[in-house]
Amino acid sequence: MVPNYTYHRFKILVVFAVCLAGFGILAARLGYLMLFQSAHYTALAEELHERERSIKAARGRIYDANGVVIADNRTVCTVSVIHSQVKDAGEVAAVLSEKLGLDRETVQKKVEKVSSREIIKSNVDKSVGDDIRACDLAGVKVDEDYKRYYPFGSLASKVLGFTGGDNQGIIGLEVIYEEYLKGQDGMILTQTDARGVEIDAAAEGRVEPVEGNSLYLSLDMNIQKFVEQEAKKVMEQKNAKQVSVIVMNPKNGEILAMVNVPEFDLNDPFTLNTGVDTAGLSEQELQDLRNRMWRNSCINDTYEPGSTFKIITSAAGLEEGVVTLDDTFSCPGYRVVEDRRIHCHKVAGHGAETFLQGVMNSCNPVFIEVGLRLGTANMCRYFRQFGLLDRTGIDLPGEASTIMHKEENMGEVELATVSFGQSFQITPIQLITTASSIINGGVRVTPHFAVEVRSSDGTAIEKLDWGGGKRILSEETSETMRYVLEQVVAEGTGHRAYLEGYRIGGKTATSEKLPRSENRYIASFLGFAPADDPQVIALITIDEPEGIYYGGTIAAPVVAGIFDNILPYLGIEREEAAQEAE
Amino acid sequence: MADRKKTQRQMKYFDYSLLAVIVFLCCFGLIMVYSSSSYAAQLKSGDSLLYLKKQGGALLIGFVVMIVVARIDYHNYAKVAVLGYVLALILMVLVNFTPLGIEYNGKKRWFGFGETSLFQAAEPVKVALILSMASMVNRFSKKIDLWRLQILLLVIQAPLIFLVTDNNLSSGIILLGIVFLMIFVASRKKLRFFLAVALVVGAAAAVTVFSDQIIELKLLKEYQMERILVWKDPTQYALEGGHQVLQGLYAIGSGGLFGKGLGESMQKLGFVPEAQNDMVFSIICEELGLFGAVCVILLFLFMIWRFVVIANNAPDLFGAMLVVGIMAHIALQVILNVAVVTNTIPNTGITLPFISYGGTSVVFLMVEMGAALSVSARIKFER
Repeated sequence: MVPNYTYHRFKILVVFAVCLAGFGILAARLGYLMLFQSAHYTALAEELHERERSIKAARGRIYDANGVVIADNRTVCTVSVIHSQVKDAGEVAAVLSEKLGLDRETVQKKVEKVSSREIIKSNVDKSVGDDIRACDLAGVKVDEDYKRYYPFGSLASKVLGFTGGDNQGIIGLEVIYEEYLKGQDGMILTQTDARGVEIDAAAEGRVEPVEGNSLYLSLDMNIQKFVEQEAKKVMEQKNAKQVSVIVMNPKNGEILAMVNVPEFDLNDPFTLNTGVDTAGLSEQELQDLRNRMWRNSCINDTYEPGSTFKIITSAAGLEEGVVTLDDTFSCPGYRVVEDRRIHCHKVAGHGAETFLQGVMNSCNPVFIEVGLRLGTANMCRYFRQFGLLDRTGIDLPGEASTIMHKEENMGEVELATVSFGQSFQITPIQLITTASSIINGGVRVTPHFAVEVRSSDGTAIEKLDWGGGKRILSEETSETMRYVLEQVVAEGTGHRAYLEGYRIGGKTATSEKLPRSENRYIASFLGFAPADDPQVIALITIDEPEGIYYGGTIAAPVVAGIFDNILPYLGIEREEAAQEAE
Repeated sequence: MADRKKTQRQMKYFDYSLLAVIVFLCCFGLIMVYSSSSYAAQLKSGDSLLYLKKQGGALLIGFVVMIVVARIDYHNYAKVAVLGYVLALILMVLVNFTPLGIEYNGKKRWFGFGETSLFQAAEPVKVALILSMASMVNRFSKKIDLWRLQILLLVIQAPLIFLVTDNNLSSGIILLGIVFLMIFVASRKKLRFFLAVALVVGAAAAVTVFSDQIIELKLLKEYQMERILVWKDPTQYALEGGHQVLQGLYAIGSGGLFGKGLGESMQKLGFVPEAQNDMVFSIICEELGLFGAVCVILLFLFMIWRFVVIANNAPDLFGAMLVVGIMAHIALQVILNVAVVTNTIPNTGITLPFISYGGTSVVFLMVEMGAALSVSARIKFER
């Protein structure tokens, strides 16, 4: 037996000392990791464990001029099961199938499916969701969500627009005011295991969602409703393709109504309003049809304004001093410009007439003469001055630009046709805006819907500023124009817009659509009242009416009908008493 | 023999401290295995107690084995040292070259028949190696300082070490370490061992510093180099090799001073892969904090100190060397495991004795503990 020598003992102690050193180093390393690096690794680990589940914020509401909600939110629920948390699958399936009206077996299958989260049904009514939540079943989650809801259905559909799956605006005001309307999503912080399954006991952090701001419009749903009825009536009577009406306050550009019939259902915006069978269409074709349905022709489409544009030629001519109301003209029924013979709508001619009468007759040769007197340079200058070459800046997406000749390419023939509203194209909103600026005393306005933004609890946040208004025309010329246009309605082509007791100004137009050979027309009328102090201006365009297509005949009476109802509604009294006294 | 029986009766010494620390570590290990495995076990098999039950069973067997081994006079073990060595060699040959070796994750580490794997081959080999080394050192103690004898000892153990290293690098390192430490303790010489250590440390440092050049020259195998690169910056390889280490660091770091509390680990929920195995120490850190982790280290240190005491008071060199081998085994494994988990050294699969999940490991550890207790029981009480 070999004894254990002292040097063995010493060596063993050396080994122990080495171990001690090793352990010491490791303990130091641990101390470094767990004290000094602790915050770093804790943060990384938490990032790994935490899952954010967002809580959707309610979108801001939209109110009309009377404070009526026209775009609202509906709470809907999504019912789902978390397989790992379900305790009694049979009971869960039974309750869910009963409450949701689903087939028992399908639900059972979904409940038993091994997945982290299985959606049983979405878009469930809040009351049903609350019911299910009240049952307090383990593993069943009821998540609330918001869905946009439009109480007025199709009313002002192309103006308001609608939202998509993530509650984001897709067209209309919903797009333009997305930043105001969209809320700030909140979130629930949960902890999950490596597979992403939430852990029951883990404490939840919660950041509440902030509801979007409310938008207050100048749009008046009462007026909109009435105007839409009238537009629909005339569309059906004349079997027109579509009818658009804009009703605006010419002084500040606030739009009271904007109708484009046929409208579509905002609560079901992806279904075509034409009733066309979509079965055979490709997705692309279907989408094209939808885009056409969603188009707001008041701002997205341009047309040749025709005679309503004579308002602008007149204003330019009067302002420039190349013509006065009493200048006399002679209309033989046509006018030769260079090598072209341009006809008047009255083939026999209007004969001798003053400028005022020329406007009242909507006589083309008179305006050709005024245009030629102005000259290309002046005409183009007035286009710029009146803002016709820029977009109006309306608060809707996709406003089309004016399509106009380049100044250097404009010969006398082009100048002549431009003078009575042909050979160039503008949007209806551009026409009514420019007309407003001419009759309101000569100040350019920006057409708009939105007036004010408030927070969801109603406290004011921002009054929207639509610009001070640039002077584009002298006060005097503006006054003259009001007088001239009143005469058009009182005794001229616009006489069908005449209303007993109201002073109404206006101008008719019958534009020929291109190509001219197809004899398709747009009948339109632009009217305003009261003529001495315009409070309301309206423009109606009837696209491709059948039968009689003259703006003076079919468009003017519609505006008269509209004014007859909305002027009293707006508190503009008839002047019967005054007239009787005369 | 009669003489020995007489002395046995005379001596009442028994290392209860060592027994206590063994029992404590085993029970603590059971708790940590349950804590770190229950969530994954519940998901995998529907029984959160799965690993606890298996480990508990292995521990019971281990305790019985330990008591039996402890009651037998350790001198009897010297007689089976050669047999043990031969058996270990046969076992390793069988595992490495026959279908009796069962492959998991590309490593043939298990011995078994067909589908049923019985035990991890490296664990009994460690016991056989310690026993055979102790026996040989004892026999050649007079010539132990000779270069050629020391080399011879190493050569004798080399086949075992190589066969183990082939599939289990970390166990191979431990075997080599045990051999080295046992020769070191047995020998009077110091310088040569010091130089050997300096050489290893120098080589490791060189590999670390010149890693880029080594990759270019392809001096190391690709996977070996990859481990070194992961070790240098685990975040860079978070999705591949660095995943386990990084998740372990997250666990350790989020423990802080006092930890999240027993059972409160987040990282065990599937983030640290197989948290109950090699990485269990990281879960200990997360749940019990720096305080708990240092306590565990101190327990192991205390255990090693008990080995020192037993070895230094052992009645003879064979007993002393037996305990030195066991001590080397435990110390190396604990240090390497903690070093790997804390990313102090490159990653290599190594379990934490008594605490990591693993039946084979715990049973053969208990064999060693029994041997150590057996030696302690024969210490002469001098008063």
